[in-house]
Amino acid sequence: MLEIQNLTKRYGKFLALDNLNLHIDKGEIFGFVGPNGAGKTTTMRITCGLLKATSGTVLVDGVNAITNPEDIKRKVGYVPDFFGVYDNLKVMEYMEFYGSMYGMSKEDVDEIAEGLLELVNLSDKKDVFVDTLSRGMKQRLCVARALIHNPDLLVLDEPNSGLDPRARFEMKEVLKNLGAMGKTIIISSHILPELSEMCTSIGIMEKGHLIASGKVDEIMQKSKGSQPIHMRAIMDGYDTEEDGREFLSTLLREQPNVEKVTYTEDEVLIAFNGNDAEAANLLKGLVERNVLVSNFYREKEDLESLFLEITGGAKE
Amino acid sequence: MKKKFRINPIMKKDMMVGARSIKMSFAIMGINAFLTLIVLFVMATNSMVGGMSGYDYSSLSYLFLALGCVECGLLSLIVPIITSGSISGERERQTLDIMLTTPVSPFSIALGKLGSAMMVVMMYMITSIPVMAIAFVLGGMSWWALLGLFGMLLYLGVYVGSVGVFCSSVVKKSVMATILTIVIGVAIITITFVILTVGLGVKSYEATLNNANNITVGATPMIMMLNPYSPLVDFFIRTMSSYSLYDLIKETGTLSAGYSKIYQAWIPISLVLNLLVSFGFLKLAARNIAVTRNKRRK
Repeated sequence: MLEIQNLTKRYGKFLALDNLNLHIDKGEIFGFVGPNGAGKTTTMRITCGLLKATSGTVLVDGVNAITNPEDIKRKVGYVPDFFGVYDNLKVMEYMEFYGSMYGMSKEDVDEIAEGLLELVNLSDKKDVFVDTLSRGMKQRLCVARALIHNPDLLVLDEPNSGLDPRARFEMKEVLKNLGAMGKTIIISSHILPELSEMCTSIGIMEKGHLIASGKVDEIMQKSKGSQPIHMRAIMDGYDTEEDGREFLSTLLREQPNVEKVTYTEDEVLIAFNGNDAEAANLLKGLVERNVLVSNFYREKEDLESLFLEITGGAKE
Repeated sequence: MKKKFRINPIMKKDMMVGARSIKMSFAIMGINAFLTLIVLFVMATNSMVGGMSGYDYSSLSYLFLALGCVECGLLSLIVPIITSGSISGERERQTLDIMLTTPVSPFSIALGKLGSAMMVVMMYMITSIPVMAIAFVLGGMSWWALLGLFGMLLYLGVYVGSVGVFCSSVVKKSVMATILTIVIGVAIITITFVILTVGLGVKSYEATLNNANNITVGATPMIMMLNPYSPLVDFFIRTMSSYSLYDLIKETGTLSAGYSKIYQAWIPISLVLNLLVSFGFLKLAARNIAVTRNKRRK
């Protein structure tokens, strides 16, 4: 569905995108993750035909967004991070306005808009003025608007920013439904746990580079090895607490896959480079060496940890 | 298959949004109240001058000139205000980006914005007909004069409106766009006038040096054809008297036959030239709208 090849974008001397390559299959919900200024929005805006690339190719369903920005507009629906309203325009009129921008007749827009408003749970608001809607409702309306011309690709730039938890949940449900309908969606967000729940694949960007991409499970699996283990042990029978810690540190470092051992105030943090079975073996080995383990758990892998780890801000 | 006529969607939306605004009602009321005050003032003055002999109805035809000039002045102030927020407002609301992701071209966006401003201008004009009609009923003006005036006002609206849309595409703040529109308008008027004055001054100096009785006018006054108010001036002169701008130019000096023909057709030539300038401003506005695509977002 989306094929990005060697995409580069410069703003004067600033290199926003540096030879970006990305492939997204039809029906995927792709999550863009990255710190501010990483190049997510630039990539999205080029894909929508809003921005000219310095070089490279962006193919949406075979159509080049760089050379045919006008053709791409019928294939892509765009939801920006900020929802602007028109005073004195009702929800249905708002949909009709954007439908007419695509050359659709009022009858066609009305028919399609009814279904879309139902999809985003706004069918009871169609005669309400847009500026009276809550922020969450406006954002869902914006999604419905972006789908009015039935695009192949839906691009959402931080659609959940500034939304309260309930509005975020409702938005997530809408996007899940769209995913179930087979729409290809690109979504960028700073709320990483939600992305991991919604997306089938993710791309992590930093300084204009795509530093990791693939299916969420695959990326999580890759990162699984670096999830730290938190452990507590009763180290009685040593002259000093320091002696007990020394013994345990030495013992742990002798175990396979243990990279680093650090002590916090009341627990041991083990940087462990192994899978769950190997972690279980570590516990078994400690018990066999008569270490009284009172607490042993592996930090749950999540997108946030993965993101911090890959972008160099991993939790210590 | 015959292509179905469609109203520019941006113009349609803006008209709908504008019509629901209380501001428009107040503006229509304000304009008509102002025009009515002028009529009352002229009639009161006429009554005082006439004294026992009553009204001098023929002089009431000057109401047409007074109301026409006031409408031109109001239009020159109102249209920049209407159009100043046309593009900058969309940019502030961040709806311009969404518009640019649709198949509607930047030029259509600019045209739609001008069109909606023109619809507002037409609304102001139509609501002022009853007040303007006093000049016809009492002053004996013809309906053609009224239609001509409306045509001129529409032309002026298009000109000022396209400058306004252009300025709105250049600056971010609506207030700045309004000021810039007025500054550009004043600059065009001043520059054309200065060039005309200097040109005729040089011709006059040359004539003095050559001991000639008359100056050869030549092409110098043509610069005034680029002054957006010159066709209006010619229109008012022609309507209120048997004179025209051509006659005034002719009295300034000698004219060749070729130039005479051009100056006789002052209104159509000037209208075409200024409408081409308007088109140029709209094209520049469209370019500015499209250029936003290449700016880095902060």
